[in-house]
Amino acid sequence: MKEEKSVTISRRLLLKLLGGGAVWLGLNKLTPVCAQVSGQAIEPLPSFTGPEANPYWGAVGQFVIYPQKLPLIQLTDRPVQLETPRNYFLTSFTPNAAFYVRWHLDEIPNGVNLSDWRLCVEGNVEKPLALSMSDLMSQFKSVSIAAVNQCSGNSRSRFQPRVPGGQWGNGAMGNALFTGVCLKDLLDAAGVKPGSSQVQFEGLDRGRGPEGKGSRNYLKSLGLSDPAIDETIVAYEMNGEPLPMLNGFPVRLVVPGKFATYWTKALTWIRVLTDLDTNYWMSKAYCIPNTPRGNTTPKDVNEGRVEMIPIGTMPVRSFVIAPDGSSKIPEEMPVTVRGIAFSGYGRVVKVEFSCDGGKFWNKAELGEDYGQYSFRTWQTTWIPKRTGKYILAVRATDERGNIQTDKGVWNPGGYLWNKVERQEVIVGAAK
Amino acid sequence: MEKVRCIIIGLVLVVLSGTIFAESEIPGLLRSGQYSQGALNCATQPDPIQQSTDAVYSVGTYPLYTPELAQGEGREIIQIFCRFCHSTTYITMQPPLPAATWEGVVNKMINTYGAPISEDSAKQIVSYLRAHYTPTTRKQ
Repeated sequence: MKEEKSVTISRRLLLKLLGGGAVWLGLNKLTPVCAQVSGQAIEPLPSFTGPEANPYWGAVGQFVIYPQKLPLIQLTDRPVQLETPRNYFLTSFTPNAAFYVRWHLDEIPNGVNLSDWRLCVEGNVEKPLALSMSDLMSQFKSVSIAAVNQCSGNSRSRFQPRVPGGQWGNGAMGNALFTGVCLKDLLDAAGVKPGSSQVQFEGLDRGRGPEGKGSRNYLKSLGLSDPAIDETIVAYEMNGEPLPMLNGFPVRLVVPGKFATYWTKALTWIRVLTDLDTNYWMSKAYCIPNTPRGNTTPKDVNEGRVEMIPIGTMPVRSFVIAPDGSSKIPEEMPVTVRGIAFSGYGRVVKVEFSCDGGKFWNKAELGEDYGQYSFRTWQTTWIPKRTGKYILAVRATDERGNIQTDKGVWNPGGYLWNKVERQEVIVGAAK
Repeated sequence: MEKVRCIIIGLVLVVLSGTIFAESEIPGLLRSGQYSQGALNCATQPDPIQQSTDAVYSVGTYPLYTPELAQGEGREIIQIFCRFCHSTTYITMQPPLPAATWEGVVNKMINTYGAPISEDSAKQIVSYLRAHYTPTTRKQ
């Protein structure tokens, strides 16, 4: 009976050992993600991951239910941060009910009375405006744009060493068709006075911290000379519906190509500034090293050698959405490998797929083009010729020639992750 | 007790179903009809809110799902101060962090966000986090 004695290794310990081993071998950078939707429904994921990188595609939080939302993955409950599960990324447009949620402050709207609510355009302008939802819809030309909204900290849980902050997997992103009015039209109607430098945006959300601190107000600004201003819209519709309360009802800013930190939710004040905005959310938070790819080291940060600048445009990314590793694939079966790609710098022009972990690449077929700021779906047919373990990988190239690489990134905020994604799948015998 | 009973019933069902498959005559059918007591939660579907036709647009309250913090000295101090601005999921969501990183986080709350935490309380908070939420001490 001796032989039957086995050492029980907890899953946590196993992950630790595997993770530790991977770090030791220097392989951590190439580790494929584990299946998160799984063949069983009894054992829960671990309640946390680390200190190694999160090995799952998404965050490991529980599924939770919120108003106007399907079950999403919880990061935090007050302020609310919810991640979109992987399977919603099979299509170009992310359903509103599945769209991820990220608030910074805890006093967020549960209800808005549109008979009292006004969008204010104020500050250094000729004629301050106070516009109702009806004014927005009737007095200004309506425009629509498909645009990816991605949290600056999307995939933060991949960082090594780990950094504090929302431990997002890959699902802090979404693409929607936003409809609203051009920010430029609102600014023109108000008349921006000479000597203006930036436009500041403020929503209905408030925190319980002291006045003047980042814990009270969430304020973001864009430079008036930033080309993004011309494409920015104030959206009152998302995928042809009113915005969910948690995604910024009644209107939110849409800044195509830029990280979501600038996409102010429940936008209520548009303020033209004469000086640079130095509030906490511009000068300290959401800042990246002024280095190539925003990469640095803990040592350089600790020794004060890193100049920090506000985060801006989203680097090119792509994802394998299916297969997700939850099913074994019979050999010789043609499998449709599907996913999405996007870049804040320009249209995605090429997506390449590899079934050998990135040694050989083949062009995938691109799906419908909804504009340069949208998710672009991709797919390819893959016929595994032998049984065994495969590492699928995907990389995208945008029209500016930016291409994803295997280089990870590290910075203290946990921003700008865009390394080539990998998915392990098992192919079994078919006879 | 209830839980134990459920588990026992679940096990009995599994064992019973196991004997059924053994007798299966269908070639290739390895396992079928196997169930076990769900260990994960199932959630009740929410009822849609009754809406008015006026200009008020609202949703219900936002639910809190806050995991228990580890038991230990300093837990109450944490509950008092940290929960003022945010729930303690902000602690449990983090990966295990080195004590120095936790200290940095607590200092940020005080200096940057203006949390009115005394030096002594801050020390207690950091020592609680060190005792339960670092790579060597985190259990849950």
